[in-house]
Amino acid sequence: MKQLIKDYLDQGLSRRQLVSGLSAFGMSTVAAKAVAQNLAPLGPGAGQAASPPQAPSAVREIEGNGGKLFVEQLKSAGVEYIFFNPSTGDHPIFDALVDLPEIKIIKGIQEGAVTAMADGYARASGRTGIVVVANIGLPNAMTQMVNTFKDQIPMLVAVASVGQNELGRDQWQEVDHHELMTEPITKWFWQAQSTEAMAETTRRALKFASTPPCGPVFLSLPTNTLEQHAKTQVWERSKFDVPMRIRPDKEDVEKAARMLIEAKNPLLSVGDEITWCRGEKELIELAELLGAPVAGEAGSLGYWSKPFPTRHPLYIGTVLRTMRFPGKPDVLLNLGNRWGENASPGTKLISIRLDPTSLAREAPVDLAMVADLKLAMADLSAAIRSMATASLLKDIANKRAERARAYAAQMQQEREAIAHALTDSTPISMERLGLELEKNLDRDTCYVADVDSGKTMDPLMAFGGGDKQYFGTGPNVLGWGMAAGFGVKLARPDVPVVSVVGDGSFLFSGPQPLWSMARYKAPVTVIVLNNHSYNNERNRIWNGAGRQFEAARDMTCYNGSPDVDFAKTAEAFGVEGETVKEPASLAGAFSRAKAAMVEGRPYLLDIHIKREGLGAVSDWYPPYSIADLRTRKV
Amino acid sequence: MSITSARGVAFASAVAVIALASQAQAQQNNNPLPPGDGRDIVSVACSQCHYLGTIAKIRDGAAGWRVYVSNMVLRGAQLTPAEVDKVVNYLATNLGPGINLPPPRPVALPDGSGKQLVETRCALCHDLERVAAVKRKKQDWTPIVANMAAWGAPVTADEAKTITNYLAANFGD
Ligand code: HEC
Ligand code: HEC
Ligand SMILES: Cc1ncc(C[n+]2csc(CCOP(=O)(O)OP(=O)(O)O)c2C)c(N)n1
Ligand SMILES: [Mg+2]
Repeated sequence: MKQLIKDYLDQGLSRRQLVSGLSAFGMSTVAAKAVAQNLAPLGPGAGQAASPPQAPSAVREIEGNGGKLFVEQLKSAGVEYIFFNPSTGDHPIFDALVDLPEIKIIKGIQEGAVTAMADGYARASGRTGIVVVANIGLPNAMTQMVNTFKDQIPMLVAVASVGQNELGRDQWQEVDHHELMTEPITKWFWQAQSTEAMAETTRRALKFASTPPCGPVFLSLPTNTLEQHAKTQVWERSKFDVPMRIRPDKEDVEKAARMLIEAKNPLLSVGDEITWCRGEKELIELAELLGAPVAGEAGSLGYWSKPFPTRHPLYIGTVLRTMRFPGKPDVLLNLGNRWGENASPGTKLISIRLDPTSLAREAPVDLAMVADLKLAMADLSAAIRSMATASLLKDIANKRAERARAYAAQMQQEREAIAHALTDSTPISMERLGLELEKNLDRDTCYVADVDSGKTMDPLMAFGGGDKQYFGTGPNVLGWGMAAGFGVKLARPDVPVVSVVGDGSFLFSGPQPLWSMARYKAPVTVIVLNNHSYNNERNRIWNGAGRQFEAARDMTCYNGSPDVDFAKTAEAFGVEGETVKEPASLAGAFSRAKAAMVEGRPYLLDIHIKREGLGAVSDWYPPYSIADLRTRKV
Repeated sequence: MSITSARGVAFASAVAVIALASQAQAQQNNNPLPPGDGRDIVSVACSQCHYLGTIAKIRDGAAGWRVYVSNMVLRGAQLTPAEVDKVVNYLATNLGPGINLPPPRPVALPDGSGKQLVETRCALCHDLERVAAVKRKKQDWTPIVANMAAWGAPVTADEAKTITNYLAANFGD
């Protein structure tokens, strides 16, 4: 499907061919027409920050080597930062940047960290993250690109590769067609063919990355294309990165509005596409207009944001396959939720999605729309208002909302009661940490979470609306959180940023992101939720009641030996830190972290947390000693 | 739970939990929970995310069960406080220490003072295999047995001492 759209945009396909092509992918004709109609320029791009100030001229002639053409095109596209780790071959890019102070470069010391920094920056700013790393470091970057790809975050990853004349000669570090490695986790990948085409290739990459559904793209830049000279045009972003904010079909919207007004027990299921489309306000308005309960993320995976305020009186928590509350919905409205198309007999399913490829992919959908979520929800609210008097709508909404409000309030109280009953243990309980975070973090904090079992703390905290903004990853490819926290802080320097990572997660990235925090004075608080274990992994494994469960032998998940000292690790990287072992020490530790942030420094808290669930009590692991294997003491 | 077998542990996930709900549904026809007051609500409220098989294999006292159930509420289980009490009551009554135990895995313990105590007090919630599974450091048995007593193992302080000594002697390094 992306190929189809690309061909259309490249003018290799007529509009009619596009529509019939999309229909062949199973998209309804109306939806296909909507796509075609909306691939035409409209306004600012979905999820994109406002365009940077206009350059003097929208199209400039530039002469220079490929490196210069690459960065000049990025500059014209409004790029502010390149996240990088250098290689010999990419020097023309950094040579050009010597005289181009508009683009700042941010160094990471491992490619996974570089990528996750760019990813965090992209999530928080709505802009495309630009990554330049060594070709041989690409596989390191790819681990984190999986998060970027699955969550559909715009990113351009470029590497300098072997010169075109040397390609295929099995040179030292060369593997044939290395760009193919990225195929399953990019929207598009390409090897630059010439210096003349460098700017055009770069534009295309930027366009594919930021066209919703967004995602990473990969460019391999042979060194000769970076080194040779050419004279070409570079274009301002508005000339090629055309906004694609799709408005839903009017008749479909009216149909949906009618279904939702007439429904007895409607339910909204909401997902990350709302966050990407900056549609929170429209969602709140729609939910309140309908008085319908709203259910969001499920468990620890699948979601990277909290699109609806978790303390809103209509928020009832997790989407479950069968919901005891509010019971089986007669109309389920899925809004931008990849996991929300939960159809069961007796429920009419309306699904509005930014991503056509996963719309109606697993479950039969009664009414499907491809659209920008912000626009779609605004249209839907308007249609609902046009169909009934305000007082009738209010009556309907009040009746529905009463039950939802009572349920949400009761559950909120219950969760807090549970947490309060568990506050005094040592090691510190996760619940206590959750309550303390809620109490101590400023309301405008960006909360960056890369932790597995730690997500049971989430329901104890307030996210969305005027409260903390939540950033995570859907696929939970660990080792993301500290670097992403750095990227979020770069995008939002004026709000507090806290990055919460598991001990496991920390060790997947290693301490490398701390290096960038120290070098660039990023005032981020890193909290290591240190339960000395892959705790949730063990919960899942043991919940399968296999042999490890039967024999109470945790073969794989205990991490406490050796007992890594994260505060000392931070210190080695120039980041101040401390270890927290007692619940009573938490408040003091948070205030020291806050003070460091005020002064412009990062700070790390290694908080020792109690393991929970099956097998938690055990600190056994299969012991092997290589020293004991020796027959000679060498 | 088949998340581990079907896809490998690396991607075992909450997503898998959702996928498993269909398995959970299939399982309801084949409900492993013993009969008892409250079984219906447990069957529904505890199968929304995962299957019931593991629950049926755990034995624990009311306090222990409450910890699990509370944790599930934080994870999203839809149970009001009154329902939580009902669920805990069902679990502690029908899946409590020594109740409805499956046939034990035969584990032959070495002779010695304390053997009988271990056999009668330490196989009420789990197999003896668990106790004799691996050698621990001698000093580790004290906290483990204390832990079990706190969990609900019916042992007096003296009995705990006897058990600890027996285990340290026979399963300690
Ligand atoms: C009231 C129920 C109960 C009784 C009775 C009980 N246990 Fe346990 N035991 C547990 C639970 C619950 C766990 C932890 C289960 C888990 O996390 O998988 C456990 C785990 C264990 C483990 C593995 C823990 C580790 O550190 O690796 C050992 C060993 C053990 N029990 C020994 C004993 C001994 C010895 C006794 C008798 C004194 C005993 N248990 C009696 C409930 C009980
Ligand atoms: C909202 C989803 C959800 C519901 C509903 C739910 N659970 Fe769980 N449960 C989980 C998750 C997630 C885990 C962690 C392991 C996993 O992912 O399989 C888990 C694990 C468990 C475990 C293993 C203990 C551990 O944490 O290691 C037990 C026991 C358990 N659940 C019991 C119950 C009981 C009893 C109920 C009903 C009161 C219930 N569950 C309802 C999501 C749920
Ligand atoms: C890069 C990567 N490797 C492996 C995994 C598999 N995995 C899932 S959860 C987990 C353990 C997480 O441990 P930790 O961060 O300490 O979180 P906890 O559950 O202890 O809170 C692992 C290893 C993963 N998600 N990502
Ligand atoms: Mg951990």
